[in-house]
Amino acid sequence: MKLLSIEWLKIKRYRTFWVLAGLFLLLLPLWNYEVASGFIKLGGKGGVNFLSTAYSFPQVWGNMGFWGSIFIMFISILVIILTTNEYTFRTNRQNVIDGWDRMQFFHAKVMLVVLLSVAATVYLFILGMVFGSGYSGSFSGLFSEIQQVGYFFILSLNYLGFGLFLAIWIRKSGLAIGLFLLYSLIIENIVKGTINHYSDMPVGNLMPLQASDELLPFPLMQMAKSILGGESTISMTTYALVATGWCAVYYFGARAILLRNDW
Amino acid sequence: MPSVLSIQNISKSYGPIQALKGVSFDVPEGSVFGVLGPNGSGKTTLLGIILDVLVANGGTYSWFGGMQPNEARKRIGSLLETPNFYHYLSAFDNLEITAAIRESGLGDRTRVLQQVGLYERRDSKFQTFSLGMKQRLAIGAARLGGPKVLVLDEPTNGLDPAGIAEIRELIRAMNKAGITIIIASHLLDEIEKVCTHVAILKKGDLLLQGPVNEVLRSEDQVEVRAADMAALEQAMQQMPGVKKVRLTEGTLQLTCDDNVTTMQVNQYCISKGITLSHLLLKKKSLETKFMELTV
Repeated sequence: MKLLSIEWLKIKRYRTFWVLAGLFLLLLPLWNYEVASGFIKLGGKGGVNFLSTAYSFPQVWGNMGFWGSIFIMFISILVIILTTNEYTFRTNRQNVIDGWDRMQFFHAKVMLVVLLSVAATVYLFILGMVFGSGYSGSFSGLFSEIQQVGYFFILSLNYLGFGLFLAIWIRKSGLAIGLFLLYSLIIENIVKGTINHYSDMPVGNLMPLQASDELLPFPLMQMAKSILGGESTISMTTYALVATGWCAVYYFGARAILLRNDW
Repeated sequence: MPSVLSIQNISKSYGPIQALKGVSFDVPEGSVFGVLGPNGSGKTTLLGIILDVLVANGGTYSWFGGMQPNEARKRIGSLLETPNFYHYLSAFDNLEITAAIRESGLGDRTRVLQQVGLYERRDSKFQTFSLGMKQRLAIGAARLGGPKVLVLDEPTNGLDPAGIAEIRELIRAMNKAGITIIIASHLLDEIEKVCTHVAILKKGDLLLQGPVNEVLRSEDQVEVRAADMAALEQAMQQMPGVKKVRLTEGTLQLTCDDNVTTMQVNQYCISKGITLSHLLLKKKSLETKFMELTV
């Protein structure tokens, strides 16, 4: 708790933090509202819309979770900025010189990642409740897909943890953010596609970020899969476990880097 | 005298370059301990290691007779190369973080800011500070919570003469208050003026260490010439008080004890039947000694 309170001192007057976090809080409901209302759509005007406008219970969780999984990237970038700042200002060294050991410095950041993940999940849950009750007119079916809120927590932890790991590894703000975007949007898809092409099982889906993306897929994918009969061969439980496993990999990887290297 | 810091056989390499080669020494309590050496001799690396920001390849160190290193660091004020603070936070907010990590209480912030003359600027962001102000804030941060040891790395770098004098006064005042001070510098003058003990590094080797008046004692040299140089050399080697005799360019260079005078040398030579054609006392400056040691 002491670590987290010092971490709070570092960010409570940091404008970048409030702007990015504020935009996340503002844009996530706005975006979902626009999608639900059919303002934002995939497909021609008046034609078919490939975005799901189903915001009643229980579909709201999957829908909201999917969009949340894209918006969470901004929070990951925020984690990268907060961590690489320490290297830019050399305050990582100063914290240690002042009396933290290296693991205290690390665990303060890990706790921040966990806290942000919890906060994002709570926020998503609240938004889901508001949207769900608004569009359903009742609370029936609220709990039937509620595990998706849990999936969102795993996904957040995975994305933010990956951001923290990259930041500690790369140390340079611009490069870390660039690599984060390149990896999450392009590189992982290339590798995943290649692996899946050459194997019977879609094991490429178990790649670090993809494993948690699979937990909250594009809403109409589920429908398309059930229509076409293509059952997913890897269970949600497996994805959840693998995604959590990757979080452990980030943790121990970053830890090893911090203990080995000069600061 | 108990030691506040004990360094045993510390080694560090950056790839193929050996920055420190098995350095050992003790820093006595209450001393002003200078780590002296030219640029690139490993001073900053050594300070980085004892403050745990660099990882040594070998050797050990212990603070205060074996206290937990991070607990020890809370009792050590440090100023390494550049002042490191959060650019977007004010002086006051930055010190709040420092105080929280050092567990030294918040009340001290006002006191140290007044001491370093930044109290009026306490709400200004760090990024708006001049270099001198940043340096002063770092000194203020190092003094939070009343440290027992102060570690300074080239503290006068980039300061004007007034700033240098100010730092020197600060070191003296803090040492008088019972604080042990470890200071790295390549400026011999700086070390000579304030230090009680010194360790001299050269390319990662510890050359010499001990009380400053022993290590950096300036030895006078006497130059002598005579017609029969061989006889002179033999005589000089036997003369009591002469420690070293060296023949260079037809002149004998004598290194003598402090109490040996040129008159005694002359008398001794006459008593041996040698007439000197040249007798000269050369004062050797500390600078020359330092160059001799480190170049």
